[in-house]
Amino acid sequence: MAVAALSTSRLTKDYGAGRGLFDLDLVIQQQEVFGYLGPNGAGKTTTIRCVMGMIRPTSGSAHVFGIDCMRDAVEVKKRVGYLPGDIPQFGGMRGKEIVAYFGGMRGGVDPKRVTGLCDRFDLDLGRRFREYSSGNKQKLGIVLAFMHAPDLFILDEPTSGLDPLNQQEFYGLLREERERGATVFLSSHVLSEVEHVCDQVGIIRTGRLVRVADLAELHRIRFHHVELEFAEGSDVPEKALRHAEGVSDVKVDDRIVTCTVHGSFEPLLDALHGAEVTNLVSREPSLEEMFLEYYHERSGLPLLP
Amino acid sequence: MGFLYSLRLTRWGVAGFSALAFALTLLQSIAFYQVAGHTAAERAAFGRSMVQIAAQFTVLVAAPIRPDTVGGYVQWRAYSFFAIVFGIWALVSAYGAARGDEERGLVEQVLATGTARADALVVRIVGFAAGCIVAVSLAALGMLVGVYGAHESIGIDALAGASVNLLGLALCCYSLTLLVSQFAASRFATAASAVVMLGLFLLNSLSRQIDQLSSWRWLSPFRYYDLSQPLAPGGSFDVRGVEVLFGSAAVMTLGAAIAFSYRDLGSPLVRFPVATHQAVREPDRNIVWRVPILRGLYERRAGLGVWTAGVALLGVLMVILTKNIVEPLLGLTQLRPYFDVLFSGGIYPSFLGFIWFGFAQLLIAGFAIAQVARWSSEDADGRLEAVLASPISRRSVLIERAVALMIGGFVIATVSGIAVGIESHVQSIDLNQGRLAAASLLLVPVAMFFAAIGALLASLIPRATVGLLGGFAFVSYFIVQLAPIFHWPSWTLDISAFHLYGQPLTSGVDGTGLVIMVLVAAVAFVASAVMMERRDVGA
Repeated sequence: MAVAALSTSRLTKDYGAGRGLFDLDLVIQQQEVFGYLGPNGAGKTTTIRCVMGMIRPTSGSAHVFGIDCMRDAVEVKKRVGYLPGDIPQFGGMRGKEIVAYFGGMRGGVDPKRVTGLCDRFDLDLGRRFREYSSGNKQKLGIVLAFMHAPDLFILDEPTSGLDPLNQQEFYGLLREERERGATVFLSSHVLSEVEHVCDQVGIIRTGRLVRVADLAELHRIRFHHVELEFAEGSDVPEKALRHAEGVSDVKVDDRIVTCTVHGSFEPLLDALHGAEVTNLVSREPSLEEMFLEYYHERSGLPLLP
Repeated sequence: MGFLYSLRLTRWGVAGFSALAFALTLLQSIAFYQVAGHTAAERAAFGRSMVQIAAQFTVLVAAPIRPDTVGGYVQWRAYSFFAIVFGIWALVSAYGAARGDEERGLVEQVLATGTARADALVVRIVGFAAGCIVAVSLAALGMLVGVYGAHESIGIDALAGASVNLLGLALCCYSLTLLVSQFAASRFATAASAVVMLGLFLLNSLSRQIDQLSSWRWLSPFRYYDLSQPLAPGGSFDVRGVEVLFGSAAVMTLGAAIAFSYRDLGSPLVRFPVATHQAVREPDRNIVWRVPILRGLYERRAGLGVWTAGVALLGVLMVILTKNIVEPLLGLTQLRPYFDVLFSGGIYPSFLGFIWFGFAQLLIAGFAIAQVARWSSEDADGRLEAVLASPISRRSVLIERAVALMIGGFVIATVSGIAVGIESHVQSIDLNQGRLAAASLLLVPVAMFFAAIGALLASLIPRATVGLLGGFAFVSYFIVQLAPIFHWPSWTLDISAFHLYGQPLTSGVDGTGLVIMVLVAAVAFVASAVMMERRDVGA
């Protein structure tokens, strides 16, 4: 079996007072696109900065393609393209100088690839960094991370500041890189972003990984918003609906009933037995809604038992 | 923006400059009683020697009045120096208020709360004034403690006069920077303000030697500051001069407020249209970006050019001044025997060595501190993280920084040395070329000495590095001044680069000093490399 693109073993960075990252065990296989989800302050950036060797873990280890991230940091970085959460400040340097500076430091950068990326995101490298909008600064960060065609991308909230069109362009770029054979590790607190591109998702909360799942598994634990419309003169089985297993948030407004259904639809359909339903609309929640639901309602519990 | 918030933004400046002001007046007061003697005759003799020494430096500092008294001495040794120190503080602080906060987005936030632009500016100057009042009060307190410690007394009204005068100068410099900053692009605002302020300082100081300038010195706030020397017996408090300082501060603040209300945030008042250009999609093709060390120098080429030209020009100026000051003194035959004894290496090299290379050490230390400040800010603004995301080790980053700084220092030292050599030849000053080269090149280890300690501090506590290194430079400078007076052990001198530099223009290179400087620099760089390997970046 091929060596994992990225793996951590009981990786811990303890800042004290319960803050930091604790006992992270993670394995990301090659050519996988892994989404790392969590709210602000959950430990996503701490994980990434440990893997990149910017901060030293309190204990545990991290490896990229089997190379120790702390001991052989230089070797690791030869194979990694990194986009930090906050784009560094380059002051009055022009975009082309910044790309040349880091390209020169890294070596082996194909100018044609840089041109392709700039064309794709419509980025003008002739301007000074301080004149760039936040979106253009983010695009420059993307160019710096992608310009050397690395084997592994480590991207900290990569689409922040990008408009929807450029976000779509970025997702397309990620798919192409995966097809090229690259592995992607991206952090986000936007679940729809993960939905677009990821094969696997890890959810982190208060410094601990609470769940690793593929997208299909995440979809299985989804819930549905349901709206029912009953025929005029028909009785609304309100009591049966409120007692149906997995049905919650039942609201009755004349002949219209809204509710949330967790798991199977069978109990809902049983409760509707004998009633005349003229319309039924089931809406899948976004991953955002699902994520928030779990964080709000199952505070302190893992996502799945 | 509230007053307290404004005060909070300047708190570190207030703390640092207050401590500096207190320490300086206290030390100079104590030093006076250590060196001036106790009898009236001893103090009179001391006063005469001080007047003789001061006469040679009126180009930098106004001549003292009654340096045989503690008031006259502290006025000369501390309050004359404060004109420069408080001017620098005002410059840095006002740039932060006028443009620095804008760069950080703070001004936008403040104006979004409904605060008027003029109010935002006035609150900042009031905050600075409050901090400045604390600093000048502590300066006065330092002198009071020193004087009362010797069981003598000093008039409170005189101290109050000196404090008000200093406050007026600081506010004038602050408002001047506020005004100039409105007209310059953000990246040039500090340099433009510094050039204007340095020009006004030199206009006043050079006018003491060059008559043609005296008709223009009314333009300089430093002129009005010099008019008051209230601490010295017989010295005066020039009410009109102080009024001019406060009045011009008010007028310039008003001008800055008007300019601020008319300009766009992030832009100067007058902005030239940006020329349209074809979008660039390729990296810069200059090969220099691929060469380690050279890419760092190339990136800082503008700054290095300014430092090099500035230091070389000041060197040339000092040579001209040396000629102008020494030549008349040599005409006094009664001073000949005195010069023969005092200046064994020749009066011109001795004087030039003192006036120029003493100053050049401070300048090169300033260059090193500026580079260290950049290293610190690279950590804070995420740039170091971006560099370390490339396949380059932390040790390599440190080596690249050190070598780039060494080359930069070498360029400055070489160009200024050549400029001084050429101007000396033009002025018919006979200098030993070998010693001139040694004295110039010896500035490089001075730069490395400060850079290495700065690198160590940047590895340990990057956000406090500049303050601590500036403090270290300050202590180093005053060790040389105070160690002989207070009879401190000789090893204290050996931790000062300014002492270790020696007098190479007259006495040749001090091998021991050079070895100590190189050793300290090497040890500090190695220690900083070890610390750099272990520390969290950006934390």
